This record gives sequence, C-alpha cells and structure tokens, in this order.
Amino acid sequence: MAELSPTPPKGQQPIPFWRDGRVIGVLAQIAFVILVALGTAWLLRNVNDNIGALGSFRCADGTESFRCGFNFLSIDAQFDISESIIQYNPSDSYGRALVVGALNTIKVTVLGVILATILGTLAGIARLSTNWLVSNLAKWYVDFFRNTPLLLQLFFIYFGVILLFPAIQDAVQPFGLPIFLSQRGINMPGPVFMPSFAIWMAFLILGLIQAQVTWLFLGRQEQQTGRNSNRGWWAVASFLLVALIGWYVAGSTADSQGILVARATRVREFSDIEALVLGRLPVDNLNDIDTAVADGRLTQEDLTAASLHICSVQDDPSQVNFTSQLRRAGIPYVVNRSDRLDQATEAYAAGDCEVLVATRSALAAERNVLENGANLSIIPIAETPVRMAVPRIEGLNFVGGIKLTPSFAAILIGLVLYTGAFIAEIVRAGIQSVPKGQTEAARALGLSESQRLRLVVLPQAMRVIIPPLTSQYLNLAKNSSLAIAVGFADLWAIAYTTLNQSGRSVQVFIIVMAAYLTLSLTISFLLNWYNRRISLVER
Amino acid sequence: MTTMNVTTAPTNTEEVIICSEVHKWYGDFHALRGISLTVKKGEVIVILGPSGSGKSTFIRCINRLEEHQQGDIVVEGTTLNYDVRNIAEIRREVGMVFQQFNLFPHLTVLENITLAPIHVRKWTRDHAEDRAMHWLTRVGIPEQANKYPGQLSGGQQQRVAIARTLTMEPNILLFDEPTSALDPEMIKEVLDVMRDLATEGYTILAVTHEMGFARTVADRIIFMDAGQIVEENTPENFFTNPNNERTKLFLNQILHH
Repeated sequence: MAELSPTPPKGQQPIPFWRDGRVIGVLAQIAFVILVALGTAWLLRNVNDNIGALGSFRCADGTESFRCGFNFLSIDAQFDISESIIQYNPSDSYGRALVVGALNTIKVTVLGVILATILGTLAGIARLSTNWLVSNLAKWYVDFFRNTPLLLQLFFIYFGVILLFPAIQDAVQPFGLPIFLSQRGINMPGPVFMPSFAIWMAFLILGLIQAQVTWLFLGRQEQQTGRNSNRGWWAVASFLLVALIGWYVAGSTADSQGILVARATRVREFSDIEALVLGRLPVDNLNDIDTAVADGRLTQEDLTAASLHICSVQDDPSQVNFTSQLRRAGIPYVVNRSDRLDQATEAYAAGDCEVLVATRSALAAERNVLENGANLSIIPIAETPVRMAVPRIEGLNFVGGIKLTPSFAAILIGLVLYTGAFIAEIVRAGIQSVPKGQTEAARALGLSESQRLRLVVLPQAMRVIIPPLTSQYLNLAKNSSLAIAVGFADLWAIAYTTLNQSGRSVQVFIIVMAAYLTLSLTISFLLNWYNRRISLVER
Repeated sequence: MTTMNVTTAPTNTEEVIICSEVHKWYGDFHALRGISLTVKKGEVIVILGPSGSGKSTFIRCINRLEEHQQGDIVVEGTTLNYDVRNIAEIRREVGMVFQQFNLFPHLTVLENITLAPIHVRKWTRDHAEDRAMHWLTRVGIPEQANKYPGQLSGGQQQRVAIARTLTMEPNILLFDEPTSALDPEMIKEVLDVMRDLATEGYTILAVTHEMGFARTVADRIIFMDAGQIVEENTPENFFTNPNNERTKLFLNQILHH
C-alpha cells in the first residue's frame, strides 16, 4: 500500500488555515471583539454627543466634568414622600430623597423575598400532597397568579381590595386578632424596645454562651459514658432559663421610666391610678365600664372625660410601656401626643392632662422648668425589656404598632403572591428531582417521614432549587419598581419624580440602574455563595 | 422485643417472617397472587424467577416499601398493617440493600452510615461512628470513610450500602438484586461480603440472578412465576432435579445460553 500512495496518508497532510479549527477559533474571537468594540464606540459617541448638546455634565465654570453632572443631588427636593424609614422632609436634598427610595425598595424586597419563600415552599409542598383539596388549591393558586400580569394583580389588590376596606372607624379585625384592616392599610401589634432591653440582650448573649458550654460539656460526657444525654434539649432549656431570669432582672433593675403627677391626686404608685379613675366613674369596677356604656348609664363623652389623660412624646417607649400597663389593668386613657418633650411639658402645664410620661431623668429636668414643680411628684413605672404596642384608634388615625400603608401593603402582597407562585413550582420540581430510591433507602433505614424530608430529600432538592430561585429573587427585586403603579415611594417612583423636576435624565438613569444592579448583584452573590457551599462532590 | 397489635395466631419464636396468602395489585394488575412463606431464624433464602414474576415486589412488601392489599405479614411477631408504629418497628429490625445502592449523594460515606443510627436508634455520634468504622472495615473499605458516594466505584458503593444497613444491627436482611447494576469484576467483592453474612446467623432473603451464590449459600430456593411461588426446594434438588415444568424451562434458559 505504501508504495502505491506517494503522498502521506490523510490527516498527516498540512491543514489549510481555513479548515484549521484552532485558527478558526482565534479568527472568530477577533471578529467578535471588533464588533463589540465598534458597537460600544458608537453608543458612547452617541451618549457623549447628546450629553454635550444637553449640557448635562457642564460645570458652573463652563467645563465638562462627570462629577459636576451630579451636583443637582444636593438641591432641595421640595416634594413629600409618604413613607420613609429615615427622617425626611421636602427641604431635604434630592440625594436624600433617592436614599429614602432605595431604602424603601430594599424594605419591600427583603420582606418580599422572605414571605414569598415561605408561601412558595408551603404551596410547592402542598401541590405534592396526596390530599385532593390541598393539592388542587395549591394548583389553582399557582395557575391563577402565574398566568395573569403582575401589574394587573397590583391594581386589583390596590384598587379592588385594599381601597375597598371599610373606613377606619369600622376597621375589620380578622378572627378577632388585634390586626386592623381599613382604608388606612393594615395595622398590627409590634414590639417596642425599652431602655432595659440592653440589659436583657446581655443576658441573652450570656445565655447563648452558657448553652454552648453546656452542649460541649455534655458532648464530652457523652464521649466518656457513651450514653445519649439529650444535650440539645439541655442546651435549649438552660438558655430559656437564663433568658427568663434576665427578663425579670432587666425589668426590676430598670427604674428609668416614670410619670409626673400632681401630689394632690394622691397617686403614690401605679396601683393608685385605678382608684383615681374609678372615683370619676359611676361604676364600682373597671370591668363594668363596657356594660355601663352599653346600657347608657355612661356616655362615651363622660368616659373620655373621666379617662386618665396622658401627655407624652409621639411614639416614645415610655408611653408604650405605661399605656400597655394601663390596658392590662383595664384603665381607660387618652393620650395627648407631642413631637418634642418641651411641647409635651407645655401641654401638661396648660392642664391638657394629669400625667406626663417620659424617662425619670427627663421628668426631673422638666419639673424644674415648671412653676408648680414643687407640687409635682415623679412616680416610677415598672418596665419589661419589650412591650407590645397594640394599634388603637385615636381620632381619625391609628396609633401604635406596625403600620402597613395601603400602597406598601399592595406592592408587598402583590409581589409575594406573584413570586410565591413561581417559587412553588421551583420547590415542587426540586423535590420531584430527588430519585425515588432515596426515599426508599431512607424508609428502609427506619427514618420517619419528617426526618426523611429534612435529612435526605430537602438537602438534595436545594441544589436544584437554588439556581432558579435566585432568578425569582432577582425578578422580585426588579418587579418592585412597579410600586409606582400603586403609589409606593420606592426608588424608581422617587427617581421618576426627581427626573421630572430636575430634568437630569441621564444622571438619574445612571443612579437608578447602578442601584438596581447593586441590589441584584448582592442577591445573586449571596445565593451563588450558598449554592457553591451545598454543591455535590463528585469524582 | 415488644409485640403489639399482633392479630394472628401465636408465633413460634424461631419463625421470624410469616407470610400467608399475600396479594398485591397495581391497579388492575395482580402482581402477587397469594404468597405464603415462613422463614426461620438464620435461614438464607434465595428467590429466583423470570423478570416481572414479582420477586422484588414480594420482598419490598416485607418492609412496607410496597403495600400489600390482602393477607398477613408478621415480622418478628409484629404484624405489618397500617399502624405506623408497627411499620417503624419492623423497618428498624429489617435491613435492605438495593440494586441501585441508593446512597445519599450529599453525605460522606461515614455520614451515610451514621445517619439512621443517630436519628433512629438515638446513638451518640461517637458510638455510631465507631460501629460504622467497624462495618466499613468488615466490608474492606475503611479508607473511603470521608469520601462522597460519587467518588467511589459501583462495587465500593454497594459495600458502603451493605455497611449502612448492617450498622443499624438488623436481624433480617433483604437483598434486592444487589449485584445487577455492577460490572462483572465488582460482583465478586459484593458476593463475598454476602457469603460472610450468610454464615453469621443473619436471616437473609435475597433476590438475585447469581446462580453460583444460590447453589452454594442458600438453605432454600424459592422460584416465583407470575406472582406465585411455583417451586420451593433445596439448592441441590432445585438445580439437579426440579419438580416444576416452568422451573425446568427457566433453568434451561439460564444454564445453556
């Protein structure tokens, strides 16, 4: 054969360059880079020309600078924002307004991600249930919310549900819980932290350290004796004990809060207040007030007049502490709220109320200011590290507790329901991706159904769930920009107002895009990190 | 061992598995048609039969991986019924080895083995790891303890699965075609382990196609066809002098291919 073919066999001939895979690869890459570079250059030139024409980045002295373009951020915004985590008023700058918007976006995203995950996981597991009703309810939920546009859902929730809630006086209380649904949105109880919370916190940390030590100690003992000592239970129980002791110690050592009251009232301690109020009412027992009002012996006006009148600073912890104790004792009260302590003192001096509530050191200072200070005594009020503030209608507003405005409630509920439907499908797919053999092996080894789910199925399902879940979290973060439709002041809503007022479109878009990019990259960084941690080891 | 809710007649303590008239349907398909079998303590039983004859279904009924619809199964005095406590009790005492190993891929070999002892038997981690290493040494791969299943060969994985089952200290072992998914040269290492176990007093029910194993190790051979036991014989008689026509056909097929 060799003699018959003088040329080397096929494959050993030199390859022409247009058929050489290595050369083709390099050429394709060079061509691609050139295309990208040309495209980018065209875009940049376009932007640059337009910026030059608009004068967006012109400084006061006529030169162009990227930094000068953002000087408008320190100008007064002059628009109001309905809700904010940080202090804001219209005389603050555009920059601060945008920060308020960014914080609102983060608030709705973080809460939305947490709630959508809970809802989605439950719905996903429910869809796999063998119970016909449970699995079909989950299926209908998923199908409905996945197949209708989010914007439509938001409008429906806002205009069709929340704004149709009753007026504030007729607020709905579902299941008799202290949660109020009204046109003002959703009001529910929330914790208020007292000054003594710091002491309790110290106890909690101490308890954690102590529980860890107990756990390690019992672990060592287990090693020696080879006997299971339920160390997990002991660790939790000892932590709870320390937390409980800390609660009472923090409550009893704290004597920072008090009320300022005239000596003439003969109130010497908290328990005297009941007699004071009862003396002004036509009943013998505070429990009879409701029946007295019901059968007309006591009018609402008389009750209000007889109630304990309190002056305090708006949302002050000492006021929450005091009123929650009054509520427990059943003593009717009326609160006169001021923005600052000196205003509260003025109201007190003017005779608007009988007691002034604040910290005792503040009360001592205020007493010196008052003319009749000598006739006033400061009475310490007991406190616990945390008090629940329950919403209460005062006039035309709810006071106390956590408040979700109609706009915030609409965007939060909308995002949670919509994203939850997608997460439900992801969770279902994840669980179904775990081979049946895993379940059989777990059962054959005697693991209970909950152990099987927790120790065998879910850890494996997580690997399938995390990557698409990341996309859903990102979708939720980006979809939060639809908040503008229901009037929630998120980043985009505020940026849009800023853009209209200032006319700095290029800068505003740069800021908004950078902000959303930062939020999205943070989310995907966190989830990618988690995904790497749980990924399977093979080979 | 406590016996609760035993609804059948008093059992001989020597008879650890009693099946009587067990029926199972998959929809309209009648998979098991009245299986009756009594297994004595320490017996090694090999179940043979053509594919689809219900061998696997039958042994999977014994630890309730499949539910039987008629008849009684009593394992070590505990009746297998809808009482979840009985099911849990039986699963604790009956170990199973699968064709596809079914190791947990997200756990190391050691974690695979200690998972059930810690969470079901409530052993301490140290005791569980101690026993796990004992059994890993017995099956010859103690050095693989900290690897993940994906890093092991098929034969090694099946030996880990056997160690995982044995660490739970069951009295009864069910083998569901343990060598069918293995490369030929790995079959021997798994069969050697099974042979050792057979001589140590475990009660064994094995579904397998390894005729050599059946002939040398089994105390009794059960031949199943179409959901019924058609022949029950000693290995000696089964291979040399089978009673049933279907058995003869089967042996012809596999011995002269």
